[in-house]
Amino acid sequence: MATVTDLKITELKLSEAEGGKWGMVIDQDICTGCQACVAACAMENNVSFVGDVDSGYGRSMHWIRIERFWEGEYPEVKMTPNQPMMCQQCGSATCEPVCPAFATVHSQAEQLNLQVYNRCVGTRYCANNCPYQVRSFNWRDYERPEPLPNQLNPDVTVRTRGVMEKCTFCIQRIHKAQDNAKAEGREVVDGEFTTACAQACPASAITFGRVDDSESLVSQLIKHGHGVKHLEELGTLPNVTYFKGG
Amino acid sequence: MSEQFSRRDFLKLAGVGAATTAILTGCGPASRYVKREPYMQMPEYNYNGQSTYYATTCRECPAGCGLVVRTMQGRAIKTEGNANHPLNLGKTCARGQATLHGLYNPDRVTDPIKRSRGDASSTNVDWDSATQTVADALKNYKPEEIAFLMGTAPDHLFDFVSDLAAATGINAPVRFGALSMFEARATLSKAAENLFGKAGLPFFDIGGAQVVFSFGSNFLETWLSPVSYTRGFVGLREAKTKQRGYLVQFESRMSQTGTKADEWIPLKPGTEAMVALAIGRLAFESRGDALPRAFVDVDPLDVASKSGVKLETLERLAAMFAASAGSLAIPGGPSLGRSNGLAVAEAVLALNAIPDNFGKPGGVYFSVMAPNETESHRPASTQEMQEFVQKMADGKFKVLFVHGVNPVFELPKAINFKGALSGVEQVISFATFPDETALEADFVFPDHHGLESWGYQRVATGSAQPVLSGSQPVVSPFYNTRATIDVLLAAAQLAGGTFASALPFKDEVEFLQGKLTPLMSEAGGFFSAADINTFSAYFQQYGGWWKLDGAFGTPDSADVLNRNLNGAESEFSEGEFFFVPFVSPILAEAGANKPWLQELPDPTTTVMWNTWVEINPETAHELGLENEDLVKIVSEFGEIEAAVYKYPPIRPDTIAMPFGQGHTAYGRYAENRGVNPTDLLGQQVNEAGDLAFAGMKVKIEKTGKKLPIPRLESIMGVYGEALGEEH
Repeated sequence: MATVTDLKITELKLSEAEGGKWGMVIDQDICTGCQACVAACAMENNVSFVGDVDSGYGRSMHWIRIERFWEGEYPEVKMTPNQPMMCQQCGSATCEPVCPAFATVHSQAEQLNLQVYNRCVGTRYCANNCPYQVRSFNWRDYERPEPLPNQLNPDVTVRTRGVMEKCTFCIQRIHKAQDNAKAEGREVVDGEFTTACAQACPASAITFGRVDDSESLVSQLIKHGHGVKHLEELGTLPNVTYFKGG
Repeated sequence: MSEQFSRRDFLKLAGVGAATTAILTGCGPASRYVKREPYMQMPEYNYNGQSTYYATTCRECPAGCGLVVRTMQGRAIKTEGNANHPLNLGKTCARGQATLHGLYNPDRVTDPIKRSRGDASSTNVDWDSATQTVADALKNYKPEEIAFLMGTAPDHLFDFVSDLAAATGINAPVRFGALSMFEARATLSKAAENLFGKAGLPFFDIGGAQVVFSFGSNFLETWLSPVSYTRGFVGLREAKTKQRGYLVQFESRMSQTGTKADEWIPLKPGTEAMVALAIGRLAFESRGDALPRAFVDVDPLDVASKSGVKLETLERLAAMFAASAGSLAIPGGPSLGRSNGLAVAEAVLALNAIPDNFGKPGGVYFSVMAPNETESHRPASTQEMQEFVQKMADGKFKVLFVHGVNPVFELPKAINFKGALSGVEQVISFATFPDETALEADFVFPDHHGLESWGYQRVATGSAQPVLSGSQPVVSPFYNTRATIDVLLAAAQLAGGTFASALPFKDEVEFLQGKLTPLMSEAGGFFSAADINTFSAYFQQYGGWWKLDGAFGTPDSADVLNRNLNGAESEFSEGEFFFVPFVSPILAEAGANKPWLQELPDPTTTVMWNTWVEINPETAHELGLENEDLVKIVSEFGEIEAAVYKYPPIRPDTIAMPFGQGHTAYGRYAENRGVNPTDLLGQQVNEAGDLAFAGMKVKIEKTGKKLPIPRLESIMGVYGEALGEEH
């Protein structure tokens, strides 16, 4: 049973996390659904392809997917605005407390949800508990015939069977930018680097940056737009803001 | 500055976001080729743990977007858009990202081979005998018996073969590609010629427009230059100083582009021309202006009943088009692939005379010529391909060289390219991948992958600045492949005679430098140099050469409305359903062998790894069809089987199918997967010679079988649904 002290700690944590650090703004009005982000993410993050049979079973490993729904009956049919969905890097993530192995933990430094692959024992509790359904599980050791492994990004761990994975906000890029800035004795500049999805997006529908810096482009966009955060009512404190547009 | 300067110093291209490398001048290229060296003796331009970035050009389609490829220890890791490149400004599409799965594809042609046609097994030959084979082919036949069939990229090879043809009298190279067939480029060009008195590829400034009427144009998918047009679409939406722009899409089957439209008008296939003319007439009437000749003959009431678009809708849209100062009408897609495709293109282009947007921001322009281009060039139309195939069948071509194109797969089966090959004594393919056409060749002398190659591509449309996009090897060739130009140069020397003297170049790089030399003296470039080595070093470093300023051409619109325009309905063959094949927005013409492209969900249906046929849910209900029921689609030219996908935004009298799958060769990820809708198509062409690919009706027959197709939207139980059991 929760004691008064426990509750206070939870509240404190919530208020600390509320601001977040890294965030994303996605403009659904200009997202064309072209899947460039999905391909870019897969190439950057060594995401496995699973083949037609496993795709049919819903086991494809996309870290980012584009959701769309149909509204109305012919001829008044409309597609809902494309909705790129990836890990929302919640400030109060529902995946974290259910992991028995502490593989899904919160980064104090970066305010991101980490997935520690070598801790993961594959219970899949986190995926069950994620309201955004953005975690993908390695049901097999998916084959990459030679010479395809030549393309693998050496900055990103290759995952094996039985391990959960998800969008990391390209943490390897965050670290590289921080290392570069540190070596040059300066702070990371807004826009100096971005995630693979945002970099590829032909419509520039995805913007990435510091939400705790009021001067950054994401902060400006959030301030001036009518954005929504998905399933905010669950208290997850997501760090991705969506502009519906239209 | 001296020759001491190494490749690393001047080719280290600043990665996007990283600090910009200082521009160096006055040094020649110390090394022309990238090497992949073992860990212990890496060249000094490779540091442990440090990436090297090379600028090059994407070859997944002919648009010519600039890439910056991140490499590490001689391996290509990631492609990004080249942020300085005027066409794509740092962006890429999904195919550009997946190009690495082509480079490291497990099913490339690894060595020069010879085979008996159609036999998947082959014997390796060495490059010396390969070169001798090419030399014999050049020498032993009359020049007029030698033909080259080439893809729409790369341009430098096309220029090389064109020069070779001009000097030796062999047939000028013919270019073709499935994308150009479905884009109906000849129709666009011919319509421009008829209306503006000058042939050329129009450019539509969507970004500057306010109201855009697109008649089937799939500009967000694969059309002409998708990354550039996507930027235009963003401009339409994110109107900074004006209202958010409005997009209306007229098409019988909602395309990916149509899903982004504010309004989708599902007109009856074949009525596009009359609908455009009716809108023109109603727009003039709404302004109270006198009707021009172009719109006099059309009767809006009649059009409303024929097209299925209500008169009120036509009136409302016409008033909207007439009222806005930033109106723009775009022809494209299946509406041009009809017997009356040229009339559609003319009628839709003529609508632009209402706001008179020709040569103005938000309007219609002519695409600019690329730097080393003298006249507007377009790939062969289907009619021209039919003539080519006829010559093959008649034995007029004794030797056929094929590069960068897969006509056995892409051309309609009815044209019978494969059969016509039997009239050709020797077929030599330069294919990088073991595609269907390479399978029907006597020899395959594989070219490098685009990322291992030198070259350039002219940006045909999408950028106001004239751009020559440069390619350089970002990795050393992975297999025993050889640049086609180097093979041809060596073979020409062996062949002797006019061939030996025709092209006095040592290798491909020297040929390229010869082509770049005239640009050094041209004004307006964003860099220049006094000697060619420095100039080509910059060309590599920046990924091409372009002018700082440029302006699209202005069409001469004086006579556009002062002519009779044909609003007759298109003709269709007999059948139950209008058939609309469309290019898969993900796979395009040659993406099927890249596993990650196969696993990207189609933007509208979310289907992966297979072909489907889109049927209106009501129609499916009437026919007793459910999702994943396998149906046979029968045309007068062929039949194929595909799984039903109940697609809400399609007319009940229309079915649609993506092009891109159905390979019988082309590697493990492409083979025996899905079906090819061109198997159903006939030979009918429109007045401009482009294939009437959306000009037929087909029948549907039930097979009683199910075919589960993976799709993202129904991640629960695709197989359960299909098989009626739990897994």
